[in-house]
Amino acid sequence: MSAAPIGDQAEMSTFVPANDVRATLLIARRAAIESLRDRSTVISSAIFSLVLPFIWVFAVIRPTASGSDDTLAALLIVYLLTVGLLPLTVASGIAAGQFAGEQEKGNLAPLLAAPVSNRAIFGGKVLGAVLPALVYSAIAIVSYLIEIAILISPAKLTLLPPALALSMIALVPAVAIFAATVAAVISSRVRTYQAAQSIAGLLLVPIFLPFYFLAFVLQSWGPLAVLGGVVVVLALDLVLVLIGAASWRREEVLARQ
Amino acid sequence: MIEARSLTRRFGSFTAVDDVSFTVPDGALLALLGPNGAGKTTTVRMLGGLIAPSVGDATVSGFDVRANPSAVRARAGLVTDAPGLYEQMSLPAYLDFFGALYGMPQPRRRQRIDELIEFFELSDHRRERMSGFSKGMKQKVALARALLHEPTALFLDEPTSGLDPLAARAVRDLITNLKHSSRSVILCTHDLDEAERLADTVAIMSKGRIVALGAPAALRARTSPEATVRITLAEPFAQGQAMLTEVAGTLPAEGAQAADTLMYRTARPQEVNPQVVERLVTAGARIVTVSSETRSLEDVYAAAVGSPQETGLTSSGAESLNGAVAASQGSEAQ
Repeated sequence: MSAAPIGDQAEMSTFVPANDVRATLLIARRAAIESLRDRSTVISSAIFSLVLPFIWVFAVIRPTASGSDDTLAALLIVYLLTVGLLPLTVASGIAAGQFAGEQEKGNLAPLLAAPVSNRAIFGGKVLGAVLPALVYSAIAIVSYLIEIAILISPAKLTLLPPALALSMIALVPAVAIFAATVAAVISSRVRTYQAAQSIAGLLLVPIFLPFYFLAFVLQSWGPLAVLGGVVVVLALDLVLVLIGAASWRREEVLARQ
Repeated sequence: MIEARSLTRRFGSFTAVDDVSFTVPDGALLALLGPNGAGKTTTVRMLGGLIAPSVGDATVSGFDVRANPSAVRARAGLVTDAPGLYEQMSLPAYLDFFGALYGMPQPRRRQRIDELIEFFELSDHRRERMSGFSKGMKQKVALARALLHEPTALFLDEPTSGLDPLAARAVRDLITNLKHSSRSVILCTHDLDEAERLADTVAIMSKGRIVALGAPAALRARTSPEATVRITLAEPFAQGQAMLTEVAGTLPAEGAQAADTLMYRTARPQEVNPQVVERLVTAGARIVTVSSETRSLEDVYAAAVGSPQETGLTSSGAESLNGAVAASQGSEAQ
């Protein structure tokens, strides 16, 4: 080995640690990159983002394309939301691994030993779970629209009302944050990744169903109603994230080891 | 400086650490020894600002662990018992992530990362994901991470675990250099030879309490001030053992002795040994070697906690052939 990297004594620990916003972004970026490189996450996401939209377009929407435009338009909107929401299970899976999974692997302690606040760690973990899920949701929506254009007809895309479609798409990140926050809270309170994933998985169904129901009720009222719903869900997200961040304690995580 | 005063940590009704006090001045190393579950890791976590003490207080580099844990964490470097890496990342990216969290400016971060990668001989693995690293390489990365931000206090939990002998020696040299550059170091280890070589002070923990605290030599002397002296002869010398008893200050040694070996115990080796040698030589004995063995840290540990076998303790000396011989000699001498 070369000369010991003792460092400059005058410089010992004089650095000013990253502030909350920067630390949150650093942690989120790291978590997102790690999960985007994780093979099992990539495979399951590819199924949700590419395979399922193809199956629905090919096997469900295409056979009804020759029918009335109203029926097709309703179907296109339903599946637009469905293909956008399904990859969000990835967000909850990643979030479930953020605390319990990392604790099991032993790689949580170095982060907890860093001079970053509990808020930044929790926020970074949630954001790190949401970002890859949004990437997969975006891929799913784009592939869905491309498949409609190729397998049915580009003209049929015009049946999607732009304002309503965009409002539905706006609902996706709002639900992603909700699902990831719930999963992160669970993950920080159980011992194993498997337990976190099971509980988060069980909770996702009752979480997703009301959102789905809400989306359909609101779509009949128009895009503004859907946008209003998005705002309500985002407000709910904010409250949930704040409660989650305020109640999360690094020492409780360590005490569970 | 690291100071712990009556540090206590309870988890529900379980007391993990009970009334622990010690001081580690700048430029000193304290070795924390004890069986698994003795409270070493919890002590380190309290001092590292990860968990708050239930009772008592502590300061690290002048910052209170309870009032200002973030400042403590900014000044402390921690190597945990598991390397704990984000294995999908490359080594420079991983170190850069932690350097950024600690607030190191990018040019300094880059320079420091290069220094550490070179020091730990990981330059050939810069582009690889760490999932393919060996255990020893991962341990080196954990050490590099702990040293990255120039900490004033270091908490090292089994830092040489999994390293090959040369790398382990280099890490020990590094720890010594860190100590000499005014850092305070706490080393948790099961390797008593390592503790003896590096530590200024040894604290032996059992069931959350410190059961022995002091300089290694002082602890050994406290357990037994006697040295066991072994004289190896060129050939058996029948009247040798009887002659030993005639010298004031000698006591019979325990354990089996070979025909060409004479053994005795003494609390005053500097005074007694020359007399014994002179008498034996005058009487015609042909002496090959004279060796003196004091109580080892392992004996101190066993006396404080229980036998090493019971506690799952390993001694790197005992792992090697020479070490095994030395250990058996040590046990014979008791």
